[in-house]
Amino acid sequence: MTIVDIRPHLREWAMPHVLCAGCAHGIVGRAFLVATDRAGIDPDRMVVVAGIGCSSRLVGYLDFCTLHATHGRAPAFATGVKLARPELTVAVFSGDGDGLAIGGNHLIHAARRNIDLTVVLFNNEIYGMTGGQVAPTTQRGAIASTTPRGNTEPAFDSVALMIGAGASFVARASASEPFTLERIFTEALTHRGFAFVEVLSDCPTYFGRYNRLGDGPEMLAWLTRQDSRVAEPLAAKRVVDHLPIPEAPPGLDLGVLHREERPVFTGRRSG
Amino acid sequence: MKQSRLIQGNEACALGAVAAGCRFYAGYPITPSSEIAEYMARHLPEEDGVFVQMEDEISSLGAVIGASFAGARAMTATSGPGFSLMQEHIGYAVMAEAPCVIVDVMRAGPSTGRPTSPSQGDVMAARWGTHGDHPAIVLTPASVTEIFELTVRAFELAETLRMPVIVLYDEVLGHTRETVELPPRVEIAGRRTPRVAPTEFRPKEAGPDGVPPLPAFGDGYRFHVTGLTHDERGFPTDEAEVAGRLIRRLHAKVEAHRDDIVEVETLLCDDADIVIFAFGIVARAAKEAVMVARAQGLRVGLLRPRTIWPFPDREVAKITAGASVVLVAEMNLGQVVREVERAVAGNARVEGLFRADGEAIDPEEILQALAPDLEGAAR
Amino acid sequence: MSARGVVLAGVGGQGVVLASAVLAEAALQSGFEVKQSEVHGMAQRGGAVVSHIRYGDTVASPIVPLATADVLAGFEWAEALRWLPYLAPGGALVVDARRIVPPGACRDHRRWGVPYPPLDPTSIAGRTGAVVLIDATGIAGTLGNVKAANSVVMGAVSRFLDLSDAAWEKAIARFVPPRTVDLNIEAFHAGQQAETLDPADIPELGLDPLPERHYHIDVNEAWCKDCGICPSICPEFCLALDDAHRLVVVDEEACTGCRLCEVLCPDFAIRIVTPVGAQGGAR
Repeated sequence: MTIVDIRPHLREWAMPHVLCAGCAHGIVGRAFLVATDRAGIDPDRMVVVAGIGCSSRLVGYLDFCTLHATHGRAPAFATGVKLARPELTVAVFSGDGDGLAIGGNHLIHAARRNIDLTVVLFNNEIYGMTGGQVAPTTQRGAIASTTPRGNTEPAFDSVALMIGAGASFVARASASEPFTLERIFTEALTHRGFAFVEVLSDCPTYFGRYNRLGDGPEMLAWLTRQDSRVAEPLAAKRVVDHLPIPEAPPGLDLGVLHREERPVFTGRRSG
Repeated sequence: MKQSRLIQGNEACALGAVAAGCRFYAGYPITPSSEIAEYMARHLPEEDGVFVQMEDEISSLGAVIGASFAGARAMTATSGPGFSLMQEHIGYAVMAEAPCVIVDVMRAGPSTGRPTSPSQGDVMAARWGTHGDHPAIVLTPASVTEIFELTVRAFELAETLRMPVIVLYDEVLGHTRETVELPPRVEIAGRRTPRVAPTEFRPKEAGPDGVPPLPAFGDGYRFHVTGLTHDERGFPTDEAEVAGRLIRRLHAKVEAHRDDIVEVETLLCDDADIVIFAFGIVARAAKEAVMVARAQGLRVGLLRPRTIWPFPDREVAKITAGASVVLVAEMNLGQVVREVERAVAGNARVEGLFRADGEAIDPEEILQALAPDLEGAAR
Repeated sequence: MSARGVVLAGVGGQGVVLASAVLAEAALQSGFEVKQSEVHGMAQRGGAVVSHIRYGDTVASPIVPLATADVLAGFEWAEALRWLPYLAPGGALVVDARRIVPPGACRDHRRWGVPYPPLDPTSIAGRTGAVVLIDATGIAGTLGNVKAANSVVMGAVSRFLDLSDAAWEKAIARFVPPRTVDLNIEAFHAGQQAETLDPADIPELGLDPLPERHYHIDVNEAWCKDCGICPSICPEFCLALDDAHRLVVVDEEACTGCRLCEVLCPDFAIRIVTPVGAQGGAR
């Protein structure tokens, strides 16, 4: 496997990026750039659409055509781009609040249509850009600025949602495993149809601080433990005696979890 | 070759779009605009275009904007409740400068209201519905033929000025059938593309007319688009000076083309003592009222804006300069009347005839409203 | 007869698997029960390959237990050393003096190669019985095809096993390519008769160790946010945060080019650069 230098794929004039120190989103962005290179995609024909939130801000630094759209609506914008110009490779960067709360409707319908998009959903269990509010993916019991006594709602399983909605490629990966990310992104980008990759990422600034999970380095290690193969529940990690003990998450399955061939929606008479 | 045929207003809208080169339509079913989508679904594929029915109106306009950046002339159509949902992306299209056309076939509101009844209650929503300081171009056709013409015109303005343009008419017009002669194709000016090399390209650097050139995604220009306030590189900025420059330019580009954008039609206004100001379907009733009044020797004229936003204030001031009364008839509880008052600036008495019950204003109502003033007009 | 055990070890491409098939067949021809098991360390040319053969009146397991092999045949010196623990005290060691560095052995990251052990049978004195050091590859080359080196080795191995020449020859004829049967049988007999070399007569290993690679840890300070991830994951402790919590490269010499810091840097701030001109220069 050749080593890919990603700097030519960055808008160096815009760097450094706005994300916090230790936020793993950049690791994901880097792996994505490697994958576009490995997949042999012409940068002139690569479009990355994003919603609103920390992860979505990343696209501004990628030297492709980048469309920083509105909160949750990136799949809709991407649908327009792809249908209007099918020869373009179109990807979506979305966060967990962006993609699963305000934009859930657009996500499931893009999956249902099996339109040829690659959606990367950064799951850091929190709204980072707005200051650490609870997200649809926040584990039960976890602290957020709007769940000061611990989250009482169950978390979304985006992979199950996407398989149910009809996505023809569904994977989950972790920012703590960049080489696996590179491989899965390459497969997702070359998959014909709707490809969905949930990436477990982190937010040291809010989720890490509220839940006493440490900074960037510690949270990377914590991410590794979300993997069902090595799952160590959040509860075991937390040392917060005065707070309710969170329900132990079951650990998440990682890897390419679903793959099928089915007709791709093009909106045109000739598929 | 023009063809004479009997068609519905909504169909004329779709025909106008296709004739203007629209090759992308995304929409969501809603009465009374659905015929536009149905026509597009039938005919766009024949033109190698794309029709897609989206999951809601928010995504419909989102997809339209995406298609627009991919180089397509793109539109959507809706009605009141859907128009509310589209406000988010109307603002985005303004900020990101995405050429696109939005058709609002007005029905009685607020909320779900009377889906099958007409209204002109969205005229301020079309101007101010989305948040923030933004310009607006809104065209108000008054006949089936004019729906075709102004839809074509909307595409030309959207493409050349890089912004959303709204075509605003009501349920009655949308469902009115008239005999029309329409050309299958209309050549319009399109968007300007950059003349500099990709490495030199600054996506939000405008020429003297305030409109930046716009390449399509995939044409070799790799650029960033955002709804955040941004600089000339298209990149987000927090500098007040840069932010102010952007927002002022968005308005200035419309102002610079204002005289080209604003169109009004007058009927017998030269000697009129009473000028009726009406747009859309109400202008049809007003025209009838003018003819009845003139038959009685009364000096009544009609001022009908084909462009409601930017508001034709200079035209209103000039045309009503010799009048003593201006009657504003609109199917709402008084939205445009204030704009007319502002334009008339006290030089004439401005009266309003308002109706918001989902029924159209008829000529008799207008004549009744004029009755107290007709004596003066008879002199 | 209690089961006899033979371990054949070499690297991919040396014919270890074929040689073990020949031995197994020869034992079978001699009326023994045979069990054979081979392990391909890497499924590629050059990777380590080992094969266990056990034969006797009854044989249960195909794996030769540790320290019980009657013969260990090393088709390659370093591989012979690697499997030495399997050889019974007093067992025979047969080794081809030709040396090959297995590519996967990379205890020294910077050179991506093991420090190759010196070819010195005295270094294992007391741990083996007879040591037969032969230039199998050279002998096979003289006979016309270096590929027959495995038959030369097996000839040397046959000295320590109680299998008839007829059985060996039949087995060779069965497994080697038809046109090379005579050559391989000739090579086998040459191996039976080959004299043990004096290590002093063996030329210094014609092996070019890979030059040390030096890596430059290119940190873009303007992009780095001193988050502390790279110091926490660098296996060689090349990076650290100083007292002011600023990232510093403290030991670039120790960098092995693993690139963990590069791929786990969220700020695109690190590149591992191999200086131009260095062997295998990455960029």
